[in-house]
Amino acid sequence: MPIDVSTVRKIAALARLRVEPAEEERMARELGAILTYVEQLQALDLEEIEPTSQVTEGAPPALRPDEARPCEVRDEALAEAPDRDGDYFRVPQVV
Amino acid sequence: MSPATSDWVERSAEEIAESVREGKATAEEVTRAFLARADSTAPRLATFLHRMPEEALASARALDARRARGERLGALAGVPIALKDNICTRGIPTTCGSRILEGYRPPYDAHVVERLAASGAVVVGKTNCDEFAMGSSTENSAYRPTRNPWDLARVPGGSSGGSAAAVSAREAALSLGSDTGGSVRQPAAFCGVYGLKPTYGAVSRYGLVAFASSLDQIGPFARTARDTALLFNAICGRDARDMTSRPEAVPIALDSLERGVKGLSIGIPRDILAGEGIAPAIRACFERAAAALRTAGASLVDVTLPHAKHAIATYYLVATAEASSNLARYDGVRYGLRAKDGNLTQMYEATRGQGFGREVKRRILLGTYALSAGYYDAYYLRAQKVRTLIRRDFATALEKADALLFPVTPTTAFPIGEKVDDPLAMYLNDIFSIPASLAGVPALSFPAGFDEAGLPIGLQLAGRPFQEETLLRVARAYEAADDAAARIPAIAKERA
Repeated sequence: MPIDVSTVRKIAALARLRVEPAEEERMARELGAILTYVEQLQALDLEEIEPTSQVTEGAPPALRPDEARPCEVRDEALAEAPDRDGDYFRVPQVV
Repeated sequence: MSPATSDWVERSAEEIAESVREGKATAEEVTRAFLARADSTAPRLATFLHRMPEEALASARALDARRARGERLGALAGVPIALKDNICTRGIPTTCGSRILEGYRPPYDAHVVERLAASGAVVVGKTNCDEFAMGSSTENSAYRPTRNPWDLARVPGGSSGGSAAAVSAREAALSLGSDTGGSVRQPAAFCGVYGLKPTYGAVSRYGLVAFASSLDQIGPFARTARDTALLFNAICGRDARDMTSRPEAVPIALDSLERGVKGLSIGIPRDILAGEGIAPAIRACFERAAAALRTAGASLVDVTLPHAKHAIATYYLVATAEASSNLARYDGVRYGLRAKDGNLTQMYEATRGQGFGREVKRRILLGTYALSAGYYDAYYLRAQKVRTLIRRDFATALEKADALLFPVTPTTAFPIGEKVDDPLAMYLNDIFSIPASLAGVPALSFPAGFDEAGLPIGLQLAGRPFQEETLLRVARAYEAADDAAARIPAIAKERA
């Protein structure tokens, strides 16, 4: 199913992903080709079929108690921050 | 008398570990041999994104000191191992082949990394891969392509191309990759080594950078069936930090791999073999392998996997949907690349626009679309239902057969650059590897032969959940009768 550039822009906005104007046509074409390919699934009769979201067999394992544990690597994790302010990650203003 | 230093690269992991445990060799001399090999071949193959010679020698010396104190060393003592760069190693760069994580050093080790340290394995480096494990050739690495040791103008496969090539060229005795739709099995086939995708849940994903959480599994690369089992044993089992990991995954007794195939039933899925596009050499190799297993005492039975033909379509909806969610975390806030641009939303868009390569963007957009309002039922939900049918196909086939035998790939390794411009053509490479991923069953690629150009051919065995032992037992029987796994690429025969 072909898709147009305006659809690419809408999805890109949802995904918070910038697609450069020079890339938009190509992306629309490639996505369109893949979506056309996956159309084959429309022909199947799936009326009575349950969806699989997890292939894990057997009973789910017991959950651990809901107890807080200290984070041992806090400083190491914060050290990776592009812009750190003490214990905070600094970002541009939200709006 | 111990073998010449350069010969350590020819030894199996099993032999190396035994020699180190018994004091017949030091971990340091073994490590030096593999480091020397990689010094020679890695620049040409581009297998590694980050080599770790100092860390490796320090680990090796520490092991030797422990042995000198009389301590008992682990099952992989002194064995050099390489890790795909989407496996978190504390303080060591982990890029996932992406610019968005350039320079990123995780603050923790993956579960498998902790297990390898406990077993005495020596990590020699992080290997190249398709960006965020998305690809079938390692050409999607944001850094550089890796080359196939059998023909440097060809791809090693992907996404775990670096890990497969490293073992093939003997830059490491073992390696780990990850397999979501074939990313361990396909490069194993292209590089002439063993590659196992464990049962979903057999190996903890804690510390594996997530691509598609219902499909991802870390898997071993090795040069013998027994070494594959040895590495699987070192990493399998329940981990409390991964709720999908299962206690049913238990180590394999290596001796049980020697039992041969008498009494085993091998299922041949004739419907997927009927497809066009399978290279004649692969088809011929497949028929020879089936006959060889029959001669060795297995019975062959025809089975069908009627919905396998929908596997690619199903996968490129399910996996991309999950990826669109998993890759939402790369936003420039807490780690990795940050692009400076306006307000917060603009920062997200610019960071992700600059930091992700084209294939990753394609898959995120596809997945976002498949999950979006108005399309969720038609695409994602529908694909999940087809997934149920594929799972059932395997369960039904595996009632009649102990293992299924079929190709891993439709062709042998293709030239670098041949398929990069046609995403769909690249996806069609995965036609034989995706079904087992969707079903969650274990699947093994084993070296089965070579084509007219001398390129490796791998074949695939798929089995019941948590029956990796059966797959390796069949592969071991084949290995005992055929020397495909023992052949060495020319680049690995060079003497320094």
